[in-house]
Amino acid sequence: MLARSCLRSTRAFAGLRNGAVQITKRAASSSSSGSTAESPLRLNIAAAAATAVAAGSVAWYYHLYGPTADAATPAEEGLHPTHYPWVHQQWFKTFDHQALRRGFQVYREVCASCHSLSRVPYRSFVGTILTVDEAKALAEENEYDTEPNDQGEIEQRPGKLSDYLPAPYKNDEAARFANNGALPPDLSLIVKARHGGCDYIFNLLTGYPEEAPAGANVGAGLNFNPYFPGTGIAMARVLYDGLVEYEDGTPATTSQMAKDVTEFLNWAAEPEMDDRKRMGMKVLVVTSVLFAMSVWVKRYKWAWLKSRKIVYDPPKTDNSPRRF
Amino acid sequence: MGFWDTITDLVEAATPWATADAEAPAQELPEETTAESTKEEASTEAETAAAAEEPAAEEEEPAAEEQEEEEEEEEEEEEEEEPVDPKEQLEEDCRNSKQCSPAKHHFDECVERVTAAESSEGGAKEDCVEEFFHLAHCATECAAPKLWSILK
Repeated sequence: MLARSCLRSTRAFAGLRNGAVQITKRAASSSSSGSTAESPLRLNIAAAAATAVAAGSVAWYYHLYGPTADAATPAEEGLHPTHYPWVHQQWFKTFDHQALRRGFQVYREVCASCHSLSRVPYRSFVGTILTVDEAKALAEENEYDTEPNDQGEIEQRPGKLSDYLPAPYKNDEAARFANNGALPPDLSLIVKARHGGCDYIFNLLTGYPEEAPAGANVGAGLNFNPYFPGTGIAMARVLYDGLVEYEDGTPATTSQMAKDVTEFLNWAAEPEMDDRKRMGMKVLVVTSVLFAMSVWVKRYKWAWLKSRKIVYDPPKTDNSPRRF
Repeated sequence: MGFWDTITDLVEAATPWATADAEAPAQELPEETTAESTKEEASTEAETAAAAEEPAAEEEEPAAEEQEEEEEEEEEEEEEEEPVDPKEQLEEDCRNSKQCSPAKHHFDECVERVTAAESSEGGAKEDCVEEFFHLAHCATECAAPKLWSILK
């Protein structure tokens, strides 16, 4: 009994391993023997049941977890931003600082009337976007609170390089009140703070269609923009061709201004990027030098072992066969 | 002294870690020049405006039409001077290309259907936002590398 069951199990295992050949063999053997006439039917049933269970479990799993359930419609999600081949995002490329200068001009002349850039000090412009004198002159255009004087009064003084860019509104409530209830977000870290980063900003700025598609529900005081989640954005289109006159003579088209200001906002979000990439380059240089040195040192240290020669020196005998 | 200067200059020029200094700033500050130019522009504009107003004041009724024509011409000239965004044209081409023809077909059909429904039964039950998404995605995706090759 035990021997028979063992035999059957090994046969079934072999049949699983490579099907067709073993099945024919088994059929031949079973027909010849006659004692195990029922086994092929039972085996077939078992295989079919196992297959059905396997397929059924896969189907059940797919039924339970397969289709993704989206809580939001595509319109509520917003159109996924198109990827643009930004040069400054490549591994060994820096910001185009001419573009940063243009982008800062666009920010100052267009965006700054509503959006603050409160985490960026004037000193960070020095050497990256403006010269020292330009940055100082820019800082002195605005007034800041002084320390309290002898009588405890707080006076106003012209800005210094260590001051931060002034916000257009005193606080969030004032910003909401002035913008019909919508808060213009601070742009210091906006590239890092939005899914899609630079692509999202560029698409948002240039993606206003001339008219909303038919049947689209645009709320009161909102504008249709496919890239904004929900498609209704309080900010109207602001960039139009020729809005800004660039000092370097670049044609100020809508997309050019959007590209420049997006790159500038990326700089504002990660001003360390150029240094970070240079540091990465240094790391690559140093590690590659160290690796090359280690290879040479290894060759030097292993030279005696690799160049040794093992020789079997047989004992000197005469060629006559040994006698015991 | 001069001999060693030449040698050090040669060495500095040959070494790969030579420093590159920025050029000295120009004598005229760019801000001032822009301010002057804007002032000049403003003054010229004012002069032209005054020149346009003077004949209008002398003979009002016949000059009104001429003045309008002049203004239109001026506006046209200004528009010609304004740069044209290449993005619009590129995406329009992409929208009409073979690549985006399915998306455009669906979008056009949807717009037709929805506008018909809006006019007839008083309120469409759907919108064309998703169809617009697909078309816009296709068009911008197609125009992106071309646009970046044009922009500075």
